[in-house]
Amino acid sequence: MKLLVCVSKTPDTTAKISFNADHTEFNEAGITFIMNPYDEWYALVRAMELKEATGGTVTLINVGPASNDAVIRKGLAIGADDAVRIDCNPTSSLYVAKQIAEYAKEQNYDMVFCGKETIDYNGSEVGGMVADMLAMPFISYASEMEMNGNTATIKRDIEGGKETIEVDTPFVLSAAKGLAEQRIPNMRGIMQARRKPINVVSPVDFEDVSSVVSYELPPAKAACKMVDPENMEELVRLLHEEAKII
Amino acid sequence: MSKYMSMDTLKFLLNEVHNMEELFEYERFQEFDKEAVDILLDSAKDMADKKFYPFVRDMDEQPAVFKDGRIIAHESLEDMIKGYADLGLIGGVFDFEHGGMQMPGTVLSACNHIFESANNHSLGYMGLTTGSANLIATFANQALKDTYVPKMISGEWTGTMCLTEPQAGSSLSDVVTSATPTDEEGVYEIKGQKIFISGGDHQFTDNIIHLVLARIDGAPAGTKGISLFVVPNNMPQADGSFVDNDVQVAGEFQKLGQKGYATAHMVFGENGGCKGHLVGEANNGLRYMFKMMNEARIEVGITATSIATAAYYASLQYANERPQGRRIESTGKKNSNAEQTLIINHADVRRMLLLQKAVVEASMSIIIESSMQADKHMATAHDPEQSAKHHMLLEFLTPITKTYPSEMGQVSISNGLQILGGYGFCTDFVLQQYYRDIRICSIYEGTTGIQSIDLLGRKVTMKNGKALQLLMAEVQETVQAAMTYDELKPYANKLMDKLGLTQKVLGKLMGFAMEGNYERYLMDATAFMQFASTIVIGWQWLKMAVAAKQALVSGKMTYSEEFYESKVHTMKFYFKYEMPKTTGLAEILMDDEVLTIKEEKQLAF
Ligand SMILES: Cc1cc2nc3c(=O)[nH]c(=O)nc-3n(C[C@H](O)[C@H](O)[C@H](O)COP(=O)(O)OP(=O)(O)OC[C@H]3O[C@@H](n4cnc5c(N)ncnc54)[C@H](O)[C@@H]3O)c2cc1C
Repeated sequence: MKLLVCVSKTPDTTAKISFNADHTEFNEAGITFIMNPYDEWYALVRAMELKEATGGTVTLINVGPASNDAVIRKGLAIGADDAVRIDCNPTSSLYVAKQIAEYAKEQNYDMVFCGKETIDYNGSEVGGMVADMLAMPFISYASEMEMNGNTATIKRDIEGGKETIEVDTPFVLSAAKGLAEQRIPNMRGIMQARRKPINVVSPVDFEDVSSVVSYELPPAKAACKMVDPENMEELVRLLHEEAKII
Repeated sequence: MSKYMSMDTLKFLLNEVHNMEELFEYERFQEFDKEAVDILLDSAKDMADKKFYPFVRDMDEQPAVFKDGRIIAHESLEDMIKGYADLGLIGGVFDFEHGGMQMPGTVLSACNHIFESANNHSLGYMGLTTGSANLIATFANQALKDTYVPKMISGEWTGTMCLTEPQAGSSLSDVVTSATPTDEEGVYEIKGQKIFISGGDHQFTDNIIHLVLARIDGAPAGTKGISLFVVPNNMPQADGSFVDNDVQVAGEFQKLGQKGYATAHMVFGENGGCKGHLVGEANNGLRYMFKMMNEARIEVGITATSIATAAYYASLQYANERPQGRRIESTGKKNSNAEQTLIINHADVRRMLLLQKAVVEASMSIIIESSMQADKHMATAHDPEQSAKHHMLLEFLTPITKTYPSEMGQVSISNGLQILGGYGFCTDFVLQQYYRDIRICSIYEGTTGIQSIDLLGRKVTMKNGKALQLLMAEVQETVQAAMTYDELKPYANKLMDKLGLTQKVLGKLMGFAMEGNYERYLMDATAFMQFASTIVIGWQWLKMAVAAKQALVSGKMTYSEEFYESKVHTMKFYFKYEMPKTTGLAEILMDDEVLTIKEEKQLAF
């Protein structure tokens, strides 16, 4: 089976987020980046499991500049065979989807995996757009998946429960928690990754149709107050008078 | 999950202060690059977060116990051994031919710092397996290597180091465990007791491999008659089966700290059925052991640094959350109607935080410094002159790398505990545990007293003081780099003054050594250790400040501006609050009064 996994980089969950002066751009200086956990832990690992069960190849695709190679390398260390990086600075989900679809359309992938969202912009958009551009079905928020020949049985999270879907390859899937279990790359995998190719490809021309007006941060969290476990009355008073939640 | 160490600081030290990438230019390490190391460190952190940190308090509260002749360790240990082995870390630094990856020891030190900060009760089981497998891989014959090393690297079997006996602790020349030749060549019957054996027993592997120091019948007295043996719990047979090897556990020591890390009393050959394979040549055991000693001592430095690091972040979190009192206003009064301030805003609390930061970050820095010297020593084996240079620096720095984090780590954690006020003393918070856990670091692998005698007695005088000269040259290089920044100049000058003071102190002490009065020369070795390590750590801070300044001035910043500024700030703190101690210590060291040497006349204690 020929599998493509879309991976992106996001700031480390502990990173302090800030913006430029007019709040239109996210400030990357001093930020540590990681692979988007939904891409890494669920999409990539489930693709690896399928490859291990039935053979085939797992290719990573990333739309971004050379500084993303470190994140891509981690995906190769987890076990992907090779990677493609569309060399550019993407400006929107649509732009990213367009680049992925343009690359993928010639390659006849059986499945395209992506995470259900990135943990920074929370768009949940790329997978659906790619599917549309490739004229493939799109199954979002997949939390379980079994393959039988060319047919996948996929459980997806819906409000308060689960929905089970059957779909034949090829299709695009966005991965949610539960689809697989995180794999921590070991030293052997990391060393092998150094020899795996990252093919750098030029982007196709594409005029973006939207632009960011501004970003803002959520209000700061209030300081923590310690209450003696014996002093329930004080806790109730604080919750009532200060936090005003009871 | 609470923060227990800083990946940013660790990577800053590796990449920007110590230029780890230099190592990848050596043939031995050419399979590695920065990107690979970054991924590996992140893997270590991921695993430490998931499998190690969640159990650190539990392992203290449910210690390893002795039951029906076995030691039962905390159930979480199994997963930790497996996870660490799966990462490839147990044999990572070994040669390719021994199943390793020729990973730089510096990288292992960095990974182990992550694991030890997460959970200092468990890594020893794996660290000792690395150490004992390395002894077999380096000195034993091919058959022993083939039998033991792969299974130890994979974590199927763990290993221990059995040196100490009831009458032979600091003084290993008094080891009496015996080894009697059998009909089979290289196989001896082992009989004797070993105490305080870390990781001596647990329920998670089919076999435990003990590296035992023993004396072959008729061997000369003292250190020259000690040999090294591989003694497994279960002896592998040619047909693939195992025979019980009469290795018994007589008990488990109940301890102040590190309670999850079993400490066994081992009895070998009580029923006359314990066999051991000789490693290398007879009577060379202590020499082989000493080859691994630098690594083992650096490892203890890592343990101490990491416990103190975890304590620092625990106290920092508390200081950021606990409101208490008010800041003194410009009127000199406090406004009682104002909201309470967080304790991190009080000068005295900031002093305690900065002290901890100064101790733990520089401790990690000296560990990386020493680890890099060890790696360069190994990587330049083809160039005897270079290799010897790195070896001498390593030899000089090792006792300091073990002792400073162990001793000052205790002070550091004590300050962390103080930040929690009454809660620091209570079991509700982890600080009291770290305070107990770190205490062992200045005892095992050679006490502080023994390390200090090693520093002043052996390392200072080694090759006519060559090691010290090399170190001074390194310090001067840092001083020169610091001189290019106006802000750092005063501190660079201060460090130069301290080098002068060191020469003065040694000039005085050397007089005693020249007269042959060695007891007088070594009388205040521990004060000399404090003196020398305070200066060496000052050097590390200046080195960090230079790297931070470089980033700030060039604008090439991997981390935030505040991150770099805080390094320069902490360096200043160290030079103001710690460095002056050397003046007092120099006074002690140069004082002619002799009060501690035993005299004929009885002193009433
Ligand atoms: C928890 C724990 C784990 C351990 N793990 C291991 C292990 O895995 N394997 C192993 O073999 N051993 C292990 N040890 C033993 C440890 O290395 C010894 O305890 C240590 O070397 C000190 O020996 P000792 O306890 O006999 O003390 P002693 O040697 O009796 O020392 C007592 C005091 O006298 C001082 N002293 C002794 N000789 C001199 C001297 N010549 N000059 C000046 N001062 C001196 C010491 O500094 C110390 O303060 C462990 C110990 C503990 C407590």
